[in-house]
This record gives sequence, C-alpha cells and structure tokens, in this order.
Amino acid sequence: MVMTATETQMTTTTSPEMARPLRAIGRWLTAVDHVRLGASMALSSALWLAIAGVVGAILGVERADVSGAVIDAGALTQLFSLHQFALVFGVAAPLTLGLSVWMLPAQLHASNISLPRLASFGWWAWLAGSITVLVSYLANGGPGGGAERFVELYLLGLGLVLVGLAVEAVAVATTVLTRRNGQRLSDIPVGAFAALIGALGVALTTPVALGTVTYLWVDYVNARVAFGGADFMDNWLGWVMREPQTLLYVVPALGVLADAAVRTAKGRQPMRGVVLVGVGIAATVVLSSVTQQAHVFEVGTSPAESLQSLVPFALFNAVPLLAPLVVILLSLLALKAGKPALSGAFVASFLGVGMIFTGLVGSAAMHIDALSLVGTVFAEAALVYVVYGAVLAGIGAVAMHIGTATGRALPDVPVVLLSLVGVLATVLASLPHYIAGFLDQPSKAAQGYDDSGIVGLANITVALGHLLMVVVVVLFLGLVAKSRRGNSVVDRYQTQVTA
Amino acid sequence: MTAPALTAGPSRRTSTIFVATAVAAGGVATLMGGMLAMWLNFRANAPTRVASDGVSLIKDWLKKDTAIPEVAANTMMFTFVIACVMAQWAVYSARRGDKSHTTLALSITLFTGLALLNAQIALWLQMEVVLRNDTYETMFYTITGTMFAVIASAMVYSVVAMFRMLAGRTQDHDVLAGHALYWYVVSGLFAAMWFVVYVQK
Repeated sequence: MVMTATETQMTTTTSPEMARPLRAIGRWLTAVDHVRLGASMALSSALWLAIAGVVGAILGVERADVSGAVIDAGALTQLFSLHQFALVFGVAAPLTLGLSVWMLPAQLHASNISLPRLASFGWWAWLAGSITVLVSYLANGGPGGGAERFVELYLLGLGLVLVGLAVEAVAVATTVLTRRNGQRLSDIPVGAFAALIGALGVALTTPVALGTVTYLWVDYVNARVAFGGADFMDNWLGWVMREPQTLLYVVPALGVLADAAVRTAKGRQPMRGVVLVGVGIAATVVLSSVTQQAHVFEVGTSPAESLQSLVPFALFNAVPLLAPLVVILLSLLALKAGKPALSGAFVASFLGVGMIFTGLVGSAAMHIDALSLVGTVFAEAALVYVVYGAVLAGIGAVAMHIGTATGRALPDVPVVLLSLVGVLATVLASLPHYIAGFLDQPSKAAQGYDDSGIVGLANITVALGHLLMVVVVVLFLGLVAKSRRGNSVVDRYQTQVTA
Repeated sequence: MTAPALTAGPSRRTSTIFVATAVAAGGVATLMGGMLAMWLNFRANAPTRVASDGVSLIKDWLKKDTAIPEVAANTMMFTFVIACVMAQWAVYSARRGDKSHTTLALSITLFTGLALLNAQIALWLQMEVVLRNDTYETMFYTITGTMFAVIASAMVYSVVAMFRMLAGRTQDHDVLAGHALYWYVVSGLFAAMWFVVYVQK
C-alpha cells in the first residue's frame, strides 16, 4: 500500500519521462543491496583503470625519449604518484572488495551482506575520497605538489579512501563470519574464504596507513620538521602501494580461480584443505605492514649475517609467493580430476592469478640486493602485473557469477578471447619494464638513463600495453551490457560444487 | 476452530554487531599500534645532544622545559578501568533483563568517556606545547589527538547502545557485548600509549 501511494504521488508531481531516471538515480544513491553496491564499486574501479591506463601510456611516451619532454617536469612526480594511486586504490582494492560484496551473498546463500548501510558508507567514503585525491592531483597537490592547500586535500582524500576501504572490508569480513547459514568456515566456497582473508587484511592494514596519513597531515600543516613535507610523502606511505602489501588487496582473485576450477571441472577440489591454507598464507603479508619497510636480502660477510638478512626477506617476500602458487597448482589438479570444458571464467582467472604470481616473483627478485633492482622501473612493472592480474581475475569473477545475479550468463568464447588479449596487454605493460629495470632505468624518473635501443622501445611498448588494457576492459563492459539485451546463454556455472 | 499455532523454534543467536566490532576494533588497534611504532622509531632515531651535566649525550627528543602532567595521565588510566567495569555491568544487567541498571551502566560509561576527553584537553592546556616547534610536539599531539578521536568513537557507541536500550530493544545483548569489547580494546590501547608516551616519554 505504501509503495502504491508513493508511486502515485511521484507520477502526479513529475512527468513519467522525468520520474524514471530520477527514481533510478535515487535508488542508486540510497542503495544498500549487495548487487548495486558491489557493481558500483566495480564500475568505478573500471573508470579508475581508464585513468591509470591513460596516465601509464603518457608516462611511457614521456620516458621513451629523455630529451623530448611531453609533460612539464614539475608535474612528473605527481603523475607517477597518481599512476600508483590509481592502480592500487583506484583499481585493485575497490575492484576486489566490490566483487566480494557483489558475489558473497550468492556464495553463502544469504539474502544480503551484513551491515549493508555500513558497506554503503564505505563505498561513498571511498568514492568521495578518490575524487578528492584526483582533484588534488589536478590542482598541483599530492606528493611533490606545490599547492599547499591541495596537498592537504590529497591527505584528506587519501584518509577518506583508507577509511572507506577499511569500513567496506569490515562489512565483507562480518558477512563471511556471520552469514554462513550453519556452514563451517572450512566448508564455504574458497572464493568466500579468500574474500574473508583479503577483507581482514585490508581492515587490519589500512588503519596503519591511516595513522601515517594523520602524522603526515599534522606535520604538513604545522612544523614540517618530522616527515619532510610533500616531497617525501610517498616515502612514508610507499609500503601501502607496493608488493607484498598489494597481495592483500587481490587475495579474492585466488578464490575466484579456485572456484572457477571446481565449477569448470564439475568435480570436487582435491586437497581442498591445502587450497584454504594456500589462500591463508596471503595473510602473512599483514606482518609486512607492521614493519612498514622493504626487506632486502644482502649476502653478508658471514653465514650468520646472511641468515639474518635472509629470514625477514623470506618471510615478507618469498612466503607470500606460496599463496598464488598453491592455488594455481591445485586448480590445475582440480581440472585434471574432473571433466573440464572451455570456460571463460577459468581462463580469465587462471591467467590473472598467473600475472599476480609473476608480479610477486618480480617483487621478491627486486628485494635481492645482488640484482641491483631497487630504485628501478622493475617495481612499477611488478605492481602493474599484480593489478592487471587482479583485473583479469575480476573478469573471470563476473563471467562466473553474472548468470546467478542477472539470469544472463556471458558466452565463453568472447571472454576467453578478451582474457588472452588482456594477458597480452598486461605483459606489454609490465615485462618491458622488467627488462628496463635490469638495464638500470630509474623508477619515477624521465631522465638520467640511456633511452636508446631496448629501453626506449620498452617504454613505448609499456604505453601501448596500458592503452590495450583499457580497451580490453571497455570491450568487456560492452560484452556485459550486450548480454543483458541479447539472447540468453546457458549458465555453466550455476551448479555450485564444493568439497 | 483454528489450527493450533506451531511453537516457535529456538531463536537464532545473531552476533553480527559483536563480530563487526571485533574486526573494527582490530583495525583501531593496528591504527594506534602503527602510530606507536612510528613514535618509538622516531624516538630511537632522535639526534643526540649534551645533557644538563655538560658531559653525557642524551636523545634530543623531549625538550628540557616540557613537563607532562602525569597526574592527569594517570587519572585517565584509572578512569578507563571504571569505563570497562561499567560497560561489563551493562552486559551483565542486560542478560538479567534489568533495563534500569543497564541504562545506568551505559550512562556512567558515557560519563567516564566525557571525563577522559576533559582530562585529555586539560593535559594539552597544562603542557602549553606549541605545535609548530619540533618533531616531539607534532607527534605528541597527533597520537594523543587520535586517541581522543578513538575515545570519542567509543562514546558514540555508548550513546547508540543506550538509545537502543531506551527504545525498548532490551534483548540486544550482542550490541552491549560489542560495546564492552570496544571499550576493553580502547582501554588496552590507551594503556599501551600511556606507557610509551606518558611514562617512557
């Protein structure tokens, strides 16, 4: 009755043409259901990916030729910082959290996520914060910025982003812990378990960064003696936007792969407990945020000295490698044990987690002192591998769950093709910088290296890779939009198989 | 003639708020823990200066003329104990269905929160630290200011719990248990900060 009265009132005060979009906007603004919240976050991260891709392409072109400046030298520091922010807090973290919010209730057989209003607050806080950060960069703020008020605005925006992500993570973790409908944690789908691990990691580590942002802000607006002002902000906050911390943001990708393997194979997951342990290993990354610094392995003058350096290196850089490795190997084992067929979700998530693993291997290699890769573009490449890998896994997650959410599944062949092009884009956007890193191209700089030969070509290739990734995501969104209107496709993933 | 109504099944115990509080409290703990870690790091790496005896070298961290009012800081520490007892009393009373005692316990918890904020402001005023001077003062105000905000958030929790109780949701044991947990965590964090910032300085 109330609904009828409300609708009648709306039709009398506004024309039908106006009422429909207004109602849609109103529903979207006040949404507390998991589908709208999750889809909003995932779509926003797609917009941020476009920004990251374009900025990455501009930086690639800028660095291809050290003598010809496309961008003002004063803006370079901010562009590098914006690129990193866009990849980590614009794409990776909100994408995986948004997809978790979107698909968790279906995985747990719950009607909605826990604390939906809190999750809605988290989404709006993240959106407001990320827009604030973007505005501050555009107005000469951010790390290395010259406009003081906009540097302060950057810190405010970053703080909001961190609060938003932490709050969203609390809602996701609470959903898994309290809405399992009697299932034990060990019995829930690996995707839900991975969402829990990732959410707990984000909820526990982003506040550490928030504390640092608070220190930086108070210091910046007052004495500027403790933290060194705008030029040094990324030094203090760098750990939150590089490996292995980024693994925590993309842990749900591991769950997507494990679930996709089981559903594709239409069988049970062999050694399911080991898969859960493998996903859980990613939680060790929380320890690295406690130290807030990189742990480099140096060969010492004595075995004891070498061991002293090796242990923290292995704990913070090598152990996290086991998480994607275990999931990749056991997902292949699940395929072998079942009866697999062509599956877009599996191909996308498998390639995505493979890219994440490659990025983490690169990060671990970078922390070996003998390779002399610290301070080179190697670190940028590792980050791109991890983030674009998460995007590919996200494509796999959408392909796997969209049939349940909308009743319209995606066809496998286009998803597989887009995934293959996505991998090509990821490799183009990062592998050349792995090579350039060995050739001593410095990180976050457009001068001071030899751009002739391979290095110049590498930077152009990186630019092309970033643009190609943007195209892949746009095409995928087009595919999703088309699936809503076209003929229905059989949803091969609807039969949920758990151990 | 109506069909006999089926008896209701056992009510399902929900613990959503309690679990969410536990996760959020973990986040608050890492927030303060990270800030304390940075405090310790800065203190350990502070430059050295000649002590007042003119011979020995000491860390140039806390200025000679900076006096921290320890009475106020210690009083805050003990006030937290009262807050925790009151928060637990609210849980105990709610389980016994005693609405008036639950409301009273929550009111006192809220009042102790106010007292804590008042003590913190008094401490800042007595110290007369100027924020534009040096590293110590910047970090002191940041970490104590953040703790101020954390205490305020605990008070907001108390207000919400009290309103729910006054509105008749007397079976909301989950909220009260979460409220008590949050006060315990905040108290533990203050104890850590009290030792590092006010005792060790």
